[in-house]
Amino acid sequence: MNRLEKTLPRPKSTTIYGYLLPGTLIYVFIVLIPLGLSIYFSFFKWSGGLSKAFIGLRNYGDLIQDAKFWFSFRNNMIITVLSIIGQLGIAFVLAVILQAKWVRFREFHRTVLFLPVVLPAVVVGFIWNLIFSQDYGILNGLLRSLHLSSWIRPWLDDPHIVIYSVTVPIVWQWVGLYLIIFMAAIQSIPSDIYEGAEIDGATGFRKVIFITLPLMMDTLKVAVMLCIAGNMKIFDNIYVMTGGGPGMSSTVMAQYAYRTSFNQFKLGYGSAISIGMIVLSLTLILLSRRLMGGRTVER
Amino acid sequence: MRKAKASKLALGALIIAMAALSACGKEENAGAPQTGGSSAASSAPKIKLSMADRLLETSTDGAVVARRKMLEEFKAEHPNVEITQESLQDSTYKTKIKTLAAGNDMPDVFELIGSDAQMFLDNKLVLPLDDIMNQDPEWKNGFIPSTLNDFTVNGKLVGAPMQMLSTSLIFYNKAIFDKVGITKFPSTWKEFTDAVETLKANGYTPIALGNKEKWVAESCILSELGDRYTGTDWFNSIKNRQGAKFTDAPFVGALKALQDLSKMGAFNSDMNSIDNNQQRTLYYNEKAAMFFEGDWAISSLNSEAPQNIKDNTHLAILPSVEGGAGKANVVSGGAAWSYAINANLTGDKLQAAVDLVKKLTGVEEANMAAENNAVAATVPTDYDKSKVAPLFNEYLAMFKDLEISPIYDAQLTPAVIDTMNNGLQDLLIGGTTPEQLAKDIQDAYES
Repeated sequence: MNRLEKTLPRPKSTTIYGYLLPGTLIYVFIVLIPLGLSIYFSFFKWSGGLSKAFIGLRNYGDLIQDAKFWFSFRNNMIITVLSIIGQLGIAFVLAVILQAKWVRFREFHRTVLFLPVVLPAVVVGFIWNLIFSQDYGILNGLLRSLHLSSWIRPWLDDPHIVIYSVTVPIVWQWVGLYLIIFMAAIQSIPSDIYEGAEIDGATGFRKVIFITLPLMMDTLKVAVMLCIAGNMKIFDNIYVMTGGGPGMSSTVMAQYAYRTSFNQFKLGYGSAISIGMIVLSLTLILLSRRLMGGRTVER
Repeated sequence: MRKAKASKLALGALIIAMAALSACGKEENAGAPQTGGSSAASSAPKIKLSMADRLLETSTDGAVVARRKMLEEFKAEHPNVEITQESLQDSTYKTKIKTLAAGNDMPDVFELIGSDAQMFLDNKLVLPLDDIMNQDPEWKNGFIPSTLNDFTVNGKLVGAPMQMLSTSLIFYNKAIFDKVGITKFPSTWKEFTDAVETLKANGYTPIALGNKEKWVAESCILSELGDRYTGTDWFNSIKNRQGAKFTDAPFVGALKALQDLSKMGAFNSDMNSIDNNQQRTLYYNEKAAMFFEGDWAISSLNSEAPQNIKDNTHLAILPSVEGGAGKANVVSGGAAWSYAINANLTGDKLQAAVDLVKKLTGVEEANMAAENNAVAATVPTDYDKSKVAPLFNEYLAMFKDLEISPIYDAQLTPAVIDTMNNGLQDLLIGGTTPEQLAKDIQDAYES
């Protein structure tokens, strides 16, 4: 190792920065500058065009008291919690099953489960719109043929269940991503640990709980973080399926920011909502790291 | 040593690539306003025009079909003009054009809805057309006068109106009405609600409603129902900020009447998850006895519906309301949309843009629209009446005796309309009360 390091030329710091520059520049252009502009705009009452009125922090004052904003945050939270349970839970169970020795066509299953991840959200939205459709949808058709007509609901029209209805496609779509992450994590666990456990008489279920789960804890933490970040900015599926309706009932924060900015044309307040989104998302991620941090397994 | 050289080379290559990339970015940024700006491309004699519209190729709306044909003719007549067209679906277009406006990046020719006119004019995004139209009296005098009024803001004409709409017609299936024993279309609100009950009792969805895109309930039902209750004077007072409020009793009454309709089961239960095309499907399948839509649906119905539906469909407007301040022979309508020209155009580009707008709103277009069962903003002079659908003739005959009241989403500000549209979805499923919604709309109006 040491000898190899010596023979390699040590790049000058300019070289290192040179290589970093393109990526950094792109990041600056598409993330940092827009973010800075949003913060700047959030101090104004602005309806597009040339005239802006500086109003200081009043947009943020309004934001804190805006019941609609907190309602949409609540919707984000529901989706996030269900996604952590649904996406990560299902993905974990599937990953464990796919590692079992008796499973055939492993690659096939993996590919099929991963397929929804690469579908555009708009396509997913439309597919599930058809599935949920009142008169022609597969879901209601299935319920009818099983003589469960009493279970039929206006899935996307009842304000009390619509938020759960729109969560289902989100869970369905992203299970594959976490499945791949988890499968990779499980494969990196050395097989001798399992062999040792088998000699000690551990059964399948105990192996999962006491070996697989603790040894992939770090991966799990990253997955939870990804899941929170992804669901805080969720927008497209729901926009296609319900447009945030009926009324506000399936509106999430991003949709609320969008509506405020581009339907009502309050671009200043819309920017303030976006900044509020970032603050809340970062808080949640930090919180989740703090909560899970204590349980790191020592290697 | 060699390796260091190689890495330097690589670094050099990267920097060059990056420079090229960022230059591209700059060019793109500068290019967009340029197409809308004054400096025409110097290399080619061709005049390039960018255009944003709602002229979807898949549309069955006769007005769209007619204007697409006009556009084709324009291209054939003006080979030196190259039009880059971006056609979008209605609600997407409304968002897109506002986004472009926010970025001060307007296309050369675009469709302008009445409710945006004030803001676009204030931000100097549209070219006032008064002088241009005055130079061509034949063009100007062809328009139905009220359509020009709809697009006169602060005394300036901001767009060439493209149509004369009525947004709130009731399409009903006479065969179904006869079958359940309703011989005449209701002429009072009481008769209307009774008819709804009767249709419901016979297993029909009385009114098909597709309000997913949120404008249908407001534009096609409430604009007219509201006028029945409040009268047009109230609306004018709202629009000119002369003291009327959305919390006034008549408007709340209109919201309540709409909610009551929904409560008695007048609409299909999935009204907020299907759109206006799907509402017509319910009607074509004879599951629904009525639907509310504007006159554009006449041409759609004519090209989409089965023959027996076409034969049985007739038109009506909402019956009068007891104690309402509005007149009974009023339908919500107006020009609603116009063609507007980017304020930055000059010279040849401006001339080409004016010619294009003239082509799209002139008498030729009116004749073509009439043959496709649509009403342009210009009076048609000469068209083949045998090509026209019977329902369209029925509409023209009915329209002669009607007066026009304002369409809410063509006249009120975006913030008010957004609150109203979202609130109506809630109202229809009982998620809010008429009083609360009226208060929300008033808050949006005042803020």
